Amino acid sequence: MNVAVCVKQIPDPAAPPALDPGTKNLVRDGKLILDDSDAYGVEMALQLAEAAGGGEVTLVSMAPNGETSGLRTALAMGAAKAILVSDPALAGCDALGTAKVLAAALKRAEPDLILAATESSDGYTGTTPVQVAELMGLPSVTFAKKVSTEGGTVKVERQTEAGYDEVVSPLPAVVTVTAGVVEPRYPSFKGIMAAKSKPVETLTVADLGLDAASVGSAGARQEITNVAEAEARAAGEIVVDEGEGHLKVIEFLEQLKVI
Amino acid sequence: MDFAASEELTMLRQSVAAIASRFGHEYYVERARADERTDELWNAVAEGGFLGVNVPEEYGGGGGGITELAAVAEELAAAGCPLLVIVVSPAICATIIARYGTDAQKQRWLPRFATGELKMAFAITEPDAGSNSHNLSLTATKDGDVYRLNGSKYYISGVDECEAIMVVTRTGIDPETGRGRLSLFVVDVDSPGLEKQVLPVEITAPEKQFTLFFDNVEVPADRLVGDEGEGLRQVFLGLNPERILSAAMANGISRYALDKASEYARTREVWGTAIGRHQGLAHPLAKAKIDLELARLMTEKAAWLCDHDGDNPEAGEASNMAKFAAADAAGVALDQAIQTHGGNGMSSEYGLADLWGMTRLLRIAPVSREMILNYVAQHSLRLPRSY
Ligand SMILES: Cc1cc2nc3c(=O)[nH]c(=O)nc-3n(C[C@H](O)[C@H](O)[C@H](O)COP(=O)(O)OP(=O)(O)OC[C@H]3O[C@@H](n4cnc5c(N)ncnc54)[C@H](O)[C@@H]3O)c2cc1C
Ligand SMILES: Cc1cc2nc3c(=O)[nH]c(=O)nc-3n(C[C@H](O)[C@H](O)[C@H](O)COP(=O)(O)OP(=O)(O)OC[C@H]3O[C@@H](n4cnc5c(N)ncnc54)[C@H](O)[C@@H]3O)c2cc1C
Repeated sequence: MNVAVCVKQIPDPAAPPALDPGTKNLVRDGKLILDDSDAYGVEMALQLAEAAGGGEVTLVSMAPNGETSGLRTALAMGAAKAILVSDPALAGCDALGTAKVLAAALKRAEPDLILAATESSDGYTGTTPVQVAELMGLPSVTFAKKVSTEGGTVKVERQTEAGYDEVVSPLPAVVTVTAGVVEPRYPSFKGIMAAKSKPVETLTVADLGLDAASVGSAGARQEITNVAEAEARAAGEIVVDEGEGHLKVIEFLEQLKVI
Repeated sequence: MDFAASEELTMLRQSVAAIASRFGHEYYVERARADERTDELWNAVAEGGFLGVNVPEEYGGGGGGITELAAVAEELAAAGCPLLVIVVSPAICATIIARYGTDAQKQRWLPRFATGELKMAFAITEPDAGSNSHNLSLTATKDGDVYRLNGSKYYISGVDECEAIMVVTRTGIDPETGRGRLSLFVVDVDSPGLEKQVLPVEITAPEKQFTLFFDNVEVPADRLVGDEGEGLRQVFLGLNPERILSAAMANGISRYALDKASEYARTREVWGTAIGRHQGLAHPLAKAKIDLELARLMTEKAAWLCDHDGDNPEAGEASNMAKFAAADAAGVALDQAIQTHGGNGMSSEYGLADLWGMTRLLRIAPVSREMILNYVAQHSLRLPRSY
């Protein structure tokens, strides 16, 4: 079974983020790394391919400046190859534009199953994978906390507020996984050395046969009109425990509906 | 000249750092204080192939070099887990066996060095020889098809964790110089006649040190590594990696200490402002950072030389300089990190003061500051030998 995984390469969250004051976009000039959220998808894909008795895991990513650092990490984990779409025409791409690009790239991989994270760590609109599914005419199952495949179907335990739904869908399908679906492996030294020689196909918008006007800032239907500082967190309420502190805590938690 | 770290080395560091962070300094100290081993940590790092990075690929190793192994040790120490056995087992013993071992010896040991399953201690230091290795008195005497070892060693690290010890012995005397002719043997730790006594030291580390007494310990001849009488030359090949690994460990400790110190100095407020704003604290930390980065550069250069031409005298010079610079830098960095924490610097909770013993050790072992200065004076500056 061949599995394709969408992996986003993002600026290192440990480094202070910066916005371009003109375009109000995130500055992505520096080195990008594999989004932690996508490490789960990669691990899941590796396990599913192995459980199905073989097959390849292909990575698909769209990123500026021909960036491959994050892809190398996922290749070191064990993915077989990668498709990277990188093109100056993609600057200012919104989530739908990204979905168009990913969908076109994913078609080339002809996967039996497509995995993505429920949302990225930097943009976190959580909209890209479902748009990919729509554009490809595939079913999509979101918020997977458990995934298995069996003879042309994928079975998903889908996280809900109350518990989980069991969903069975025909393949091919797009499934988004939550953190915790599996524990991602750390790349081993052999994996790291092997990653160096694994193929990364770098494509442009034209290579994908997409109209440049439909993607990038030209095709964006979303515009960032203003950026403002987040509100500082309000001071909390201090409860002095005079023997009834626990009741106040319970009351508070009940208000939040967590108990 | 290229100072950019390769993508592979960067990923190696990330993997090892991620594995080590699952354990951390608290785990390390807890095990050390309870007299317990850090097997889970060792196995987790070994599982990724990181303890066999320098073992040749044909024996299941990573096919890398001391550059990669040093990065592993540095990342572990930077996570608060400086492991002494890495300095002896994969760095010294595996290097010597890969170079001088017979095919059978390589088949026997290298695949298990590659997986980290085999740990081997290294014993050269003797009570009466000190830094003068020519004076070793532990003898190995041929008796039919075995050798018999008699004498003692001390300060031998991790014997309880290891299944064998590479022992530097005297097999003869050079009639011209009167110096010992040395030979290397791999001796099983449970050999009859070998007594092991814990030698208590003021170092908070999971590995214990041992005094070893050899009373007619019988060792099969196929445990002789390399040529009889050529031990000193062979040991030298392993000593550069030993120095580089010690330097890497010191650099990791410096990183650990400076990370903690700068985090604390950024957040602790005493006079209505972060204490890191006071130059009295900021400048010594900045100086320690400079010394750390200089030491890391020299460590990487030494590793590079070692991997490209380990026999080159330049590799010896650089390894010694790196170990000297790194150990001194770590001493200052740790001390300043403690100072930055005020009273908290001495608390168990902050995990700094307990590293003092290990950090102090690195200025004495595996080769003392003074012996390095002697080496540089004599070999780099061609000054007359003082001893
Ligand atoms: C204003 C703006 C400017 C942008 N400029 C650029 C640019 O210059 N260059 C550029 O390359 N992109 C650019 N993007 C695209 C952006 O990086 C995201 O890929 C896209 O908006 C998806 O948004 P998200 O992070 O909310 O994804 P989500 O919908 O939260 O992502 C869910 C999952 O979808 C997958 N996914 C999402 N994005 C990608 C991706 N890019 N590659 C592979 N998998 C992915 C991942 O598995 C991810 O976890 C821009 C986006 C915006 C809004
Ligand atoms: C915790 C620990 C772990 C160790 N692990 C191991 C191990 O696993 N295997 C192993 O074989 N050894 C090990 N050692 C031993 C270590 O390598 C030696 O202690 C070190 O090399 C110094 O030798 P020495 O103790 O004999 O000091 P000595 O040689 O007795 O030196 C004493 C002092 O005199 C100085 N000195 C000596 N000669 C000169 C000179 N010519 N000029 C100027 N000054 C001089 C030295 O620098 C030192 O300051 C360990 C030691 C410790 C403390």
